[in-house]
Amino acid sequence: MVFNSYTFIVFFIVMLVLHNLPLAWKVKKINLLIASYIFYAAWNPPFVLLLWLATVVDFFVGRALYTQPNRHKRKLLLVISLCGNLGMLFFFKYGGFLLENFTHVVNAIGINYHPAKPNIILPAGISFYTFTTLCYTIDMYKKRSKPVKSMLDFALFVTFFPHLVAGPIVRPPQLVPQFETPRTANQKQMLQGLLLITLGLFMKVVLADSMLSTPANVVFDAKGPLSTLDAWMGVLAFSGQIFFDFAGYSTCAIGVASCLGFVLPENFLYPYAAIGFSDFWRRWHITLSAWLRDYLYIPLGGNRSGKFRTYINLMITMLLGGLWHGANWTFVVWGALHGFYLMVEKFIQDFKIRLKPKPELVQPAVVMQGFMAPRFLKKVQSSNFLLALFTFFLVNVTWVFFRSPDFTSAWRMLTSMFYHVPKGAVLLSTLTIIKVSVIVVCMVAFHWMMRNTRIVNVANKMPWWLLGLVWSAMLMLIILSQESSSTFIYFQF
Amino acid sequence: MESKNLVKAGVLTLILVITSIASWELYLRSKGINIAYDDGDALWSDKRARVYEPADKATVFIGSSRNKFDLDIVTWQSITGENAIQLAVEGTSPLPVLDDLAKDSDFKGKLMIDVTEGLFFSLSTPRGAMLKADMDYYKKRTPAQRFSFEVNHLLESQFVFLDKNYLSLNSILENAKIPPRYGVYGSPVFPMDFNKSTFNRQSYMTDRFVTDTNLQNQVKAIWAYGASRPTTPLSIYQQDSIIATVKSDVAKIKARGGQIIFVRTPSSGPFLSKEKTGFPREKYWDIILTVTNCPGIYFEDYPAIAHFQCPEFSHLKPSDAIVFTKNLINIIQEKGWSFPHKQTIQ
Repeated sequence: MVFNSYTFIVFFIVMLVLHNLPLAWKVKKINLLIASYIFYAAWNPPFVLLLWLATVVDFFVGRALYTQPNRHKRKLLLVISLCGNLGMLFFFKYGGFLLENFTHVVNAIGINYHPAKPNIILPAGISFYTFTTLCYTIDMYKKRSKPVKSMLDFALFVTFFPHLVAGPIVRPPQLVPQFETPRTANQKQMLQGLLLITLGLFMKVVLADSMLSTPANVVFDAKGPLSTLDAWMGVLAFSGQIFFDFAGYSTCAIGVASCLGFVLPENFLYPYAAIGFSDFWRRWHITLSAWLRDYLYIPLGGNRSGKFRTYINLMITMLLGGLWHGANWTFVVWGALHGFYLMVEKFIQDFKIRLKPKPELVQPAVVMQGFMAPRFLKKVQSSNFLLALFTFFLVNVTWVFFRSPDFTSAWRMLTSMFYHVPKGAVLLSTLTIIKVSVIVVCMVAFHWMMRNTRIVNVANKMPWWLLGLVWSAMLMLIILSQESSSTFIYFQF
Repeated sequence: MESKNLVKAGVLTLILVITSIASWELYLRSKGINIAYDDGDALWSDKRARVYEPADKATVFIGSSRNKFDLDIVTWQSITGENAIQLAVEGTSPLPVLDDLAKDSDFKGKLMIDVTEGLFFSLSTPRGAMLKADMDYYKKRTPAQRFSFEVNHLLESQFVFLDKNYLSLNSILENAKIPPRYGVYGSPVFPMDFNKSTFNRQSYMTDRFVTDTNLQNQVKAIWAYGASRPTTPLSIYQQDSIIATVKSDVAKIKARGGQIIFVRTPSSGPFLSKEKTGFPREKYWDIILTVTNCPGIYFEDYPAIAHFQCPEFSHLKPSDAIVFTKNLINIIQEKGWSFPHKQTIQ
């Protein structure tokens, strides 16, 4: 089930009614759990079994990990959990990819091997809920938090429908305590939740689906070289589409949870206003980058084992982060580019530290978002904006690999973007170019204006009539766009 | 913000949205615009799922827009006492659907295939991707999508403004008079009155279109523009390959007890002349019937359906579609098909 569908509207109304009936808290939690399974099964019923399996295994293994005094047995339990979770992920998501690469390798060394192509359907959101359950068992192993006492609470933590299929990726301490005491939304939470749902749907339905998906698809599906203008418009359209699609989903998820009285972590903070790539990853898919930092980068050694090792750890983290998004080498290259950008940024940061002036000359401490900008530039708003634009430019280059189905297409796109292609195809109409340009310019400007604040804070400061006008404009555009039920891009991850 | 202010904003939103949408709906109704349905993947899939009805209960129709305009489904159903399952899609060849039905061992019913030669004998059709999307959607549709379809049907049957083809945000923007970019061949924008879709996937022209020659000329201009664009003729090998596929698919369906008939639906004026020149009957139509050993109805062979003048040269107006359908049923019976539940025409 997707948020932008009539099915979800009916489902959500029923859920709101049930959740606000004078029932026992345990009954309400059971309602939420059943609803979450229905939410998931409405896509493909048999895959609910996978969710059950992951839930039951990790609940018991997690508890045993916490209570088991024997170090070796604890390690064995951790391995069981990792094998279970990652094995499922590898089978469904990477099985075909691994087989394909294995086939290439063995054929390259002269062995004639051509297996049948596996027909494996990827369960929606498997990467998200696998990370959710993984962090629980790792936390139990490291005794970072206490095991969840009730199976019901744990099942609800894994399956809670607002975050189930596309995040935000939640940690047990963020959500489980919320299930321990009765919760319903107060008037403010309910209205803020509805406002966020409207905003999320506006981003997804109007901007991503109605305005930007077609130009992005047309350009990236082209079979030949393109004119420079078309190539850039396609990439910029995808830049907007992927943000509005995914941030729209997260905003809806947070809004839906708020209407039920729960709080989910933020997942996006105006990433196209980022100055540098460490700043970008503090703003884009925040819960994933935090997950990768805490469960991959830091366990690898983080920045504690010397500069060279830090660079390697950064690269490994981003390569695996890229692979998490999809079973294709283009995603790996996307991750590698981000890793490279982060390494360069770290190098500049280290270089600046070496040139650091003596203590008496040090300026008063200022909280910096990025690392790339020299200190004197960071005081100048317009220069910061130029650095943000430069970051946005580099991010766009990475999106080429993210969106292209293969390297041939990616290379063709990059060639069209950076070289004059004499007979490059012109595909996009005047109207489409106007739409993409206006939306992308407004998006970047909006991100820049909002970079140090939150949408709810801005809404809180607005006069009620202005908020009403903006809210109704978004709602009317959602209704008029008549785009519904298209899936979110991140479902496939 | 205080909760009170949020309440005020929410109430204002509700009032503005309801007022605006209601005003828009009333305005459209005052302009004489009727209810129309989104003839997209969900509606196509709904019909595709019905092809398993027994052969004495339904006939499946595949092809392009002529099948959708020319077959009056209400007339067909009232006379034959059987359902008409319309799977034709504008601007497409029937071959992908024929192939799909041939591979579906559960389909054993009656099938009428519309032959518009320019689309039938083509490797890529203007809206072939759309048909593929419809077929993919049918195979992958989820329980949630089915439920959404039912809710959408309920709403579309009540509100005129829910006409995705002509009244969605993008469609409204497409109508803005913005100069085209040199070298870009966009999708043609048809007048709203040309193609309205019913829930059973019948297309029809509005009364205004039938009487307004200006609107008709707009569509004629689109046909002329399409005809002027360079096309690569099929090689003999490609033509043979298409015919071989049709032969094989037809044989599979007939082997399961299915019945198939080919119909060349009417066109007129310069459109018909161009079709006759580009696709001589003996080299295309006759060959299809010969290799498949199926009955066929070429409209010019039957006086009762040979006289129609299409308003824009290619499709029948609603009143002609009724006459065409009534006569088509009789001709089909002459070809050996039976309709056990058929009513006697008064």
